[in-house]
Amino acid sequence: MQLLFDNYVAVLLATIIGSILVLSALLASRLLAPFSESRQKRTTYECGMVPIGRVRTQVHIRYYLFAILFLIFDVEAVFLFPWAVTFVDIGPVAFYEMVLFILILGSGLVYAWKKGVLQWK
Amino acid sequence: MLEDLDRIGPVLILMVSAGGILLVDLALHERDRRWLPFGALAGLAAAAIWTVVLILRGREAVVFSGTYSLDSFSIFFNFLFLGVAGLVVLASADHVRRLRYQGEFWTLLLLATTGMMLLAGARDLILIFVALELTSISQYVLAGFLKDDRSSEAGLKYIILGAIASAVILYGMAFLFGISGTTKLVAPEGQASIFALIAQGESGTRAALFAAMVMLGAGFSFKVALVPFQMWVPDVYEAAATPVAAFLSVGSKAAGFAVLLRIFYEGFGPDSFIGSDWSNLFAAFAVVSMTVGNVMALLQTNIKRMLGYSSIAQAGNIAIGVAAIAASGGGVSLGASGVTFFLATYVFTNLGAFFAVIVISQRLGSDAIAGYAGMGRRAPLLAAALAICLVSLTGIPPTAGFVAKLYIFNAAVQSDLVWLVIVGVLNTAVSAYYYLRIVSHMYVSPAPDEGDIVPSPWLAAALLTTSVGVVAIGLVPFPLIKAAERAASALG
Repeated sequence: MQLLFDNYVAVLLATIIGSILVLSALLASRLLAPFSESRQKRTTYECGMVPIGRVRTQVHIRYYLFAILFLIFDVEAVFLFPWAVTFVDIGPVAFYEMVLFILILGSGLVYAWKKGVLQWK
Repeated sequence: MLEDLDRIGPVLILMVSAGGILLVDLALHERDRRWLPFGALAGLAAAAIWTVVLILRGREAVVFSGTYSLDSFSIFFNFLFLGVAGLVVLASADHVRRLRYQGEFWTLLLLATTGMMLLAGARDLILIFVALELTSISQYVLAGFLKDDRSSEAGLKYIILGAIASAVILYGMAFLFGISGTTKLVAPEGQASIFALIAQGESGTRAALFAAMVMLGAGFSFKVALVPFQMWVPDVYEAAATPVAAFLSVGSKAAGFAVLLRIFYEGFGPDSFIGSDWSNLFAAFAVVSMTVGNVMALLQTNIKRMLGYSSIAQAGNIAIGVAAIAASGGGVSLGASGVTFFLATYVFTNLGAFFAVIVISQRLGSDAIAGYAGMGRRAPLLAAALAICLVSLTGIPPTAGFVAKLYIFNAAVQSDLVWLVIVGVLNTAVSAYYYLRIVSHMYVSPAPDEGDIVPSPWLAAALLTTSVGVVAIGLVPFPLIKAAERAASALG
């Protein structure tokens, strides 16, 4: 028990002190700051274009597939950068592993392509 | 590292064939898609042959820094899962031919099997979780594969509840990691592992271990459908395609119990200070699962819902074996081999029942139990196959289900859990009512309409295998019992 919960005392203290800090900051600004209500202040952007339409627009579900495909290659890039830094040190194994990885990702792209994901119908 | 790759060869073969089918499917014409099930079967057969070669060459070892163990336990379950997947491929070939996405179905089926095989051999919490997700996510998609309203609802229910269960499992694992500083369940002498930590005795870790035990128990109870985590079962079984329901009912149950044995029997240990706690946990699960499952099954008019509740009750029976492991007081435990043996017989029995339901429902266009009237005259062989499986599910000789129940009740008696056996026997009496009601319905009631029901060659092959299996194991159980005992001995 002792062993288990000692480490959490810090977390508990951080939570309590953190909440006190945030609450007191909010409360202090409410009590101390002057408030002036005007029409200008209620606009979304005080300078710049006046926004048109509602905030909640519907995005076509088709974008979802593009987003997923983008994500695949995003992740690929994230893995490629550290690999590019170290692959000379690790040797041929690293090279073939990355080739395999890219082939697997590539077959995913081929699959999506053949299924017509890239066509905007 | 690389020289150990052949030890996970069966898993790799299934992964490659899953990906291969997905890509080949892209290039095939519509009419050539009917060859895809042969591809799936070839992959499964190759994995089975590879496993045989591994046994012959004596390649059992713990590999990949202790995360995967190729031992008699994982080999037993490799064959079990390959058999399940093979039978399900046979049973779903007709169904899949009517689907739009055929390659995807086979791929998901093979990937789920891959995950199950990894689960049975995993000795590290990380690998357990990754394999569990591989299995679960494939199964979520399979459950919602029909894309009609009901199937989508079932898939969504399954994925949301399943994600919660996975989160609970992960939280339990986090507790284990927190107190032990390692994710290994078992490690060689001198290295940190969860088993070694628990073996040290109670040194301020009891509360955390208890929390981890309850969370892991609860999370995996969802996967194997133990009460009170069974809510998804009837809905998913009813709405998913019947071959998929068959796969879920045996595959995820066998995989879940395999992991439970790995974590609790191998990792937590039966004679450690936490042993009696997890024994009691599973005894409680067993009592409520058997009772709730059987009582609810009495009320069903849809045969797939009834089989769903029956699978909950059967999970309760298996949980008796898990409870018996730790209660044996450190002696030779029949509990673990009981669970293994029961799962093997349950695979044949339950798959057989579902396969017969596939054929009959296809013809009748509904899953209502009332439609089974007079099946004994309309389709004698089919009715006989279903009757054998229902009799086996009840636990009446000379079927596999009888031997399995006898074995697992005996294990409980040896472990001084006589009260649990009494509850089990009472429940068997209750279950006899709804299982045998269908049998009498098929043979005694008059048929509402005539016309033969002939299964397709694929389904006939699957039904023949399961029926012969159920009776053969019932008559000559010893080879399988020996294999199950050898498998369980790898854990102790």
